[in-house]
Amino acid sequence: MTSLSPVRKSVRRRLLIFLTCSLLTLVAGAAAVTYWIAVHAADAAYDRALLDPAVDLSDNIRADGTTARLELSREAQEALMYDQSDKVIFQIRDSRGGIIAGDPALPEAGGVLAGAPMFFDGKHEGQPLRLVALRTPSGYLVQVGETLNKRQRLVRDVLVAELVPTLLIALAAIAVAWIAVTHGLAPLERVRLKLLHRSPQNLEPLDEADAPDELAPAVRALNQLLERARAANAVQQRFLVNSAHQLRTPLAGLQMHMELFLRRQLAPELREEVVRMQSATIRTARLATQLLALANVESASEQRPEPAPVDLKEIADAAAREWVPRALAAGIDLGFDLNTAIVMGDRLLLQQMLSNLVDNALRYTPSSGTVTVRTAMRGGRPCISVEDTGPGIPAWARAKVVERFFRVDGTPGEGSGLGLAIVKEVVDQHGGVLTIEAADGDTGTRVTASFPPAPEPAASTPRV
Amino acid sequence: MARILVVEDDALLAQGLTSVLTRAGHAVEHAATGKHADLLLAAQKFDLVVLDVGLPGIDGFEVLRRMRLRRSAANVLVLTARDSVDDRVHGLDLGADDYMTKPFSVTEFEARVRALLRRVTTPAAPWSIAGMTVDIAAKRVRIHDQPIDLTPREWALLELFLTRPGRVLSKEQIAESLFTFDERLSPNAIEVYVSRLRTKLEPAGVHIRTVRGFGYIWEAAGD
Repeated sequence: MTSLSPVRKSVRRRLLIFLTCSLLTLVAGAAAVTYWIAVHAADAAYDRALLDPAVDLSDNIRADGTTARLELSREAQEALMYDQSDKVIFQIRDSRGGIIAGDPALPEAGGVLAGAPMFFDGKHEGQPLRLVALRTPSGYLVQVGETLNKRQRLVRDVLVAELVPTLLIALAAIAVAWIAVTHGLAPLERVRLKLLHRSPQNLEPLDEADAPDELAPAVRALNQLLERARAANAVQQRFLVNSAHQLRTPLAGLQMHMELFLRRQLAPELREEVVRMQSATIRTARLATQLLALANVESASEQRPEPAPVDLKEIADAAAREWVPRALAAGIDLGFDLNTAIVMGDRLLLQQMLSNLVDNALRYTPSSGTVTVRTAMRGGRPCISVEDTGPGIPAWARAKVVERFFRVDGTPGEGSGLGLAIVKEVVDQHGGVLTIEAADGDTGTRVTASFPPAPEPAASTPRV
Repeated sequence: MARILVVEDDALLAQGLTSVLTRAGHAVEHAATGKHADLLLAAQKFDLVVLDVGLPGIDGFEVLRRMRLRRSAANVLVLTARDSVDDRVHGLDLGADDYMTKPFSVTEFEARVRALLRRVTTPAAPWSIAGMTVDIAAKRVRIHDQPIDLTPREWALLELFLTRPGRVLSKEQIAESLFTFDERLSPNAIEVYVSRLRTKLEPAGVHIRTVRGFGYIWEAAGD
């Protein structure tokens, strides 16, 4: 893939080039055959007419002892040689080759036998001629030739009559082919659009029944590839889930023992040391939790349940129960402003999303700060936002904080760098938009997830 | 003192849980497998079971299901290393009384255990929280040995908080609990009741904190 503009191999173009070339070759072939037939037809038709004056001339040769002459008046000769469109010339030689009458410029035709007139092509004064040579029983050679005007006209007429319809048919065939190719490629376009509008997590096979016979093998091959990708993905997911899961129990044990240890009477330096170890343990446990959450969010997209209406207000309700005690412990005022806002989606994922948003806000908000969770319909879209009075995220970092393991340098706390990545993943899966901005006032951050509006229930009561 | 069964296959965690509970003055048994736990639960009576979900062989959910089939009345605190909420819901559907996700803090664990054991022992004797003594059977409250008058509504509110210490209660939830046939309480009415109860209990060192825009949480020193 080094060329800047790769030459795409268009099936349509290839088909059309092939069709046009073959049709034009066919037309050219037809023209050649028609020409050959026309020439022969013209010869067949006009040769007979050319023989008549030759016979007349031979009938009028009079032998007079050793000399012979043409016994025909000038007027009769002219009448005999008259033609509307062609110039007709003749010549009569005796058996020894001596010219008796007519145009002397004609060469003597050889090999002409009595009783068998010979037709052949020749030249006279630079013009092509059609000639007939006839030998009389007494040995005289009579030759009559004419120019090719009427023969060429006939050939031209035949060619035009034959080729114009053929060319029209060829052009029509190309037009039909263009339409047919477009029509025939429509299923391919459908498959393309389907693939284009797919989420990258969706590894569901394509519907083979939808594809025409010619496309089915390609779709099948693609499905096999998707299946393999899915299997590989599933293995990876399972591994991640299992390892995160397996990590948590020993970490829970470790964390518990450290907490118990810290309850003892300890020398200050020792205590400090253990507190550091404890904070590292908590951070590790947190990372395991987040990895598991991320794996869950991603695997959920694999076998996602049918989206159902979920009230963001209820999601926030569950979060309140989970997070208020922690906020109180940290001296943070965690408050709510909850209005009904219905989203079509997955309740568990949305809970996961909010849980991470609140966790993040609490983590970076200093004691006696404020964190507020809001749910509402804004501009017809259900929205949920979490606003804090923490240090805020610098503008340049706002797009980056949703990347996995990205942390703003110098931020305090024990963030794993996965929280907002999880949030982004959930929002993306719901077709929503995630905005990170400075909160009203100087400091703080407001993270807002806005979702596509849920369709009105079918049996909604009409509003007055 | 209560009889508690700890079902946990991880030795380190099991040892920690056992030590915390023993130090709190409870009689603690330990089972490392679901099968062992099932046998113990079938043979003996426990007040509380601390149950890990991810056990080898018979898992925690199955142990719980069999307990409920035997109509065991023991309270169950489920521990899970998974984070997906469906696990928890599953546990609660089967009749778990509470759940915690690993890892958790010892303090939180102790608080949950106390709350669960209180459910088993409440009706018996009056108990003390901070500077307050509550006799649920007699519906009497004393603060520093001074009797306090509570209206039936305030009493119902107190009971609600006492059964859910450290838990956030939404105004809707409170309204639902205090609901009587003749009237439905408005959020404003709830605020009035809570503020009255708060004033009455304040001298005992009991705090009913407001969760802005949501509801209340009960905090008591030493609870």
